Amino acid sequence: MADVALFMADLALGLLLGCVFAVIAHGLNLIWGVAKVVNVAHGEFIMLGAYGAYFLNLWFGFNPLLSVPVDAAIGLAVGVGFYFGFLHRELRGKESMGLQSEMVTLVATFGLALFLINAVQALWTGNNVGIPWSPGVVLVGSIQLPLGGLYVAIMSVAIIGLSHVFLTKTYLGNAIRAYSQDIPATQLVGINPTFTAAVGTALGFCITMAGGALLTVWLPTGIFPAMGNLYAPISFVIVVLGGPGKMWGSLVGGLTLGVIINVGQLFVGSIALATAIGFLTLIPVLLLRPEGLLR
Amino acid sequence: MRLRGIRSFGPTLWGIALFLVVLAGTAPWIPVFLLTVLIQLLIFSTLAYSLNLITGLTGYVSFGHVVFMAFGAYALAFAVGTFHLHPVAGVALGALVGLALALGIGGVTLRFRGVYFAIATLVVAVAASYIVLEIKELGDGQGIILNIGFEPLSWFYTIWVILAIEVILTYWITHGRIGYGVRSIKSDEDAAKALGVNAARVKLFLYALSGLFAGGAGGVYAWTASGVFPQAFDLTFSLQMLAMIVIGGMGTLLGPLIGAVAVYIPSYIFLTVLIGFQFIIIGIVVTLIALFVPEGIVGSLRKYIPELRGILE
Amino acid sequence: MTRVLDVADVHKYFGGVRAVQGVSLKVQEGQVVGLIGPNGSGKTTLLNLIAGVEKPTKGAISWDGQRIDRWPAHRIVGQGIAKTHQIPKPFLTMTCRENVAVAMMFGNHAQRESSKALEEAAHMLALVGLGRKADVMSSKLTVQERKRLEFARVLGTGARIVLLDEIFAGLSPEELRDAMNLFERVQKEIGFGALVVEHVMRAVLTLSEHVIVIEEGMKIAEGSPRAVVEDPAVIEAYLGTEAVHAAP
Repeated sequence: MADVALFMADLALGLLLGCVFAVIAHGLNLIWGVAKVVNVAHGEFIMLGAYGAYFLNLWFGFNPLLSVPVDAAIGLAVGVGFYFGFLHRELRGKESMGLQSEMVTLVATFGLALFLINAVQALWTGNNVGIPWSPGVVLVGSIQLPLGGLYVAIMSVAIIGLSHVFLTKTYLGNAIRAYSQDIPATQLVGINPTFTAAVGTALGFCITMAGGALLTVWLPTGIFPAMGNLYAPISFVIVVLGGPGKMWGSLVGGLTLGVIINVGQLFVGSIALATAIGFLTLIPVLLLRPEGLLR
Repeated sequence: MRLRGIRSFGPTLWGIALFLVVLAGTAPWIPVFLLTVLIQLLIFSTLAYSLNLITGLTGYVSFGHVVFMAFGAYALAFAVGTFHLHPVAGVALGALVGLALALGIGGVTLRFRGVYFAIATLVVAVAASYIVLEIKELGDGQGIILNIGFEPLSWFYTIWVILAIEVILTYWITHGRIGYGVRSIKSDEDAAKALGVNAARVKLFLYALSGLFAGGAGGVYAWTASGVFPQAFDLTFSLQMLAMIVIGGMGTLLGPLIGAVAVYIPSYIFLTVLIGFQFIIIGIVVTLIALFVPEGIVGSLRKYIPELRGILE
Repeated sequence: MTRVLDVADVHKYFGGVRAVQGVSLKVQEGQVVGLIGPNGSGKTTLLNLIAGVEKPTKGAISWDGQRIDRWPAHRIVGQGIAKTHQIPKPFLTMTCRENVAVAMMFGNHAQRESSKALEEAAHMLALVGLGRKADVMSSKLTVQERKRLEFARVLGTGARIVLLDEIFAGLSPEELRDAMNLFERVQKEIGFGALVVEHVMRAVLTLSEHVIVIEEGMKIAEGSPRAVVEDPAVIEAYLGTEAVHAAP
């Protein structure tokens, strides 16, 4: 019976972790849907969000939850910069990027990733850092849940929910959704494509960096320059699992992956192997159900 | 020498051949320290040419290419460390492992287009690294240290042979009938298929070759390093390979070599100045080149100096 | 002994949409068959099914007695059936000559020597009136020229049955006349069979020996051009019930 308890505990942790995964993937989902481009440096922006939370904690004593709005604001600015720096010249109201443009953006953001990892390493050393914030545990039934993890999970769902409300209930949000589906049509109804795409991208980065801040709760010693190399594939797999462009897909994909990894380690013995298996689920999904698990 | 379907060798190929022959001829007299730098340069060139075969020629961006190099390195370490085979046999094994792995990965991932292919290769590479690092016989995540000698000349000639074969093969592929098939796939894969091009087979062929050579290079790398460590799976290698062909010129014959020189030599110089700093520069350079000069050095030279088009490729 | 493309009771459903419902037709090598019908009636889907771009949900497609409906597209081309695209898709980074050469090297022709293919490509281009543009980048061609290139390419594969998707669309009356003459001349010279999907009635009815009419994925009429044009079911499909009873 200890096994069942262990299973339930891992399941619960997997779900909590999955919520945060969902947020970092959600940012990618937005950018992918709006700009139709995959930002290879996505992991590095998560990393920047994490470092942001770290420094806010170091200098001002902010706990990760408080850092989220700050990181989000920074993310908005970064997103606008990214749009005009990388995407605007390739997109400029076109339907989608051609193959050449797609490759250019893939490679350019790859270069950006390389730059960011090493710039951070040069600035702040490659040593692992973390945020010492442990609000304790709470007992749910017989399972011990980390309060930190619970709080960020709640915040994560809130963020995704808010994003959903924004995208479906506000004018700008609907403009962004329209843009991600049909650019010429958006122009025909009087929506400024550049503004819409820039805002959509900004929102994506905003959520990504907020996600980085939230993630720190699970990484007491795990913030380092190359951490994006783990969280970028996680984000990609989640977006594919949930379905690119499907807004609730991030949550579905995130929870799924969180559970696979956390519960999987019970069956295969190590978390690294469970993660590898989780990643490899990308292949059958792309082969059999490329639109994602969500209908 | 006449290869099937080719009339004559172009000037660029002669140029590269001359460079390689001179290197091979003078190797025994090159000071050891410089020789080791050259060896690393040749290893990087081999890796660049291998990525060029798939990404440069077809436009399918492979982010996970480091996985072939790493598997090749681990293959050599395993062959030499556990079975006590001669390192050259280890290199051959590395190449075979790379080939097999590429057939396996490519068979599945090449069905995906563009972005999805890139992500799939990235994810598979990361997953593969996690799996390998769990295996006890392969160093159990700590790497494998080998007790083999310092043999720069052997290292040099081994990688030299691999690179020479690779360059000739690249030339043959880009100039023969298959070269047109490859270009048509890169231009418009659906239209190519509608004209009878077996796109799946062409792509897999190129991907398998790239895995073969990257695996071989990985084997030599482990030989020169007397071992292999988990860092072999570092995505930075993929980034460097991509940087080399982007800077040199994707799909060209000379591009990977120029790119390797452009990326490796400054890296080596910087290594003693500020570790990691060279990657910042490489990152910026790659980004700028991808955005503003996507043809790379060789492509740009051909574009802006028409006289060079017959000579430089 | 002429070979026959045999489409037997073919269906194609995309989820709930029944694009093609039980269509049968035959095209002989050397025969020009027209395929007409209102927009969205399933004509392009039918071509895609024959070319192997899509696989039929039900039914069989055979060429010279051999089932080809499960084959990949490139293999079908290798056996002698090739299709043009409604919107031309030239290889923009290659010259016209190279475009056609690719077809010659990989199609039914399977010319192994690239230099020979490049030479023969020039002949093919001359045949369709693009001789002077042989070494021009295909990206520099006008839309009409691209259509000719598309035609040259599909002929370059050495196809014995050519599937043409609205190749006469968007032409001025003069251009249309020239295009029709070109087609007739080339068809007689090479002797291929053709399934011609068209909206331009004049072209289809003049050039075809046999016409098939499709509406909503089903065949509603078949016969000589004259018979089909006077068939009430056809008139109704195109113009509505009123037109059937309208004065001629």
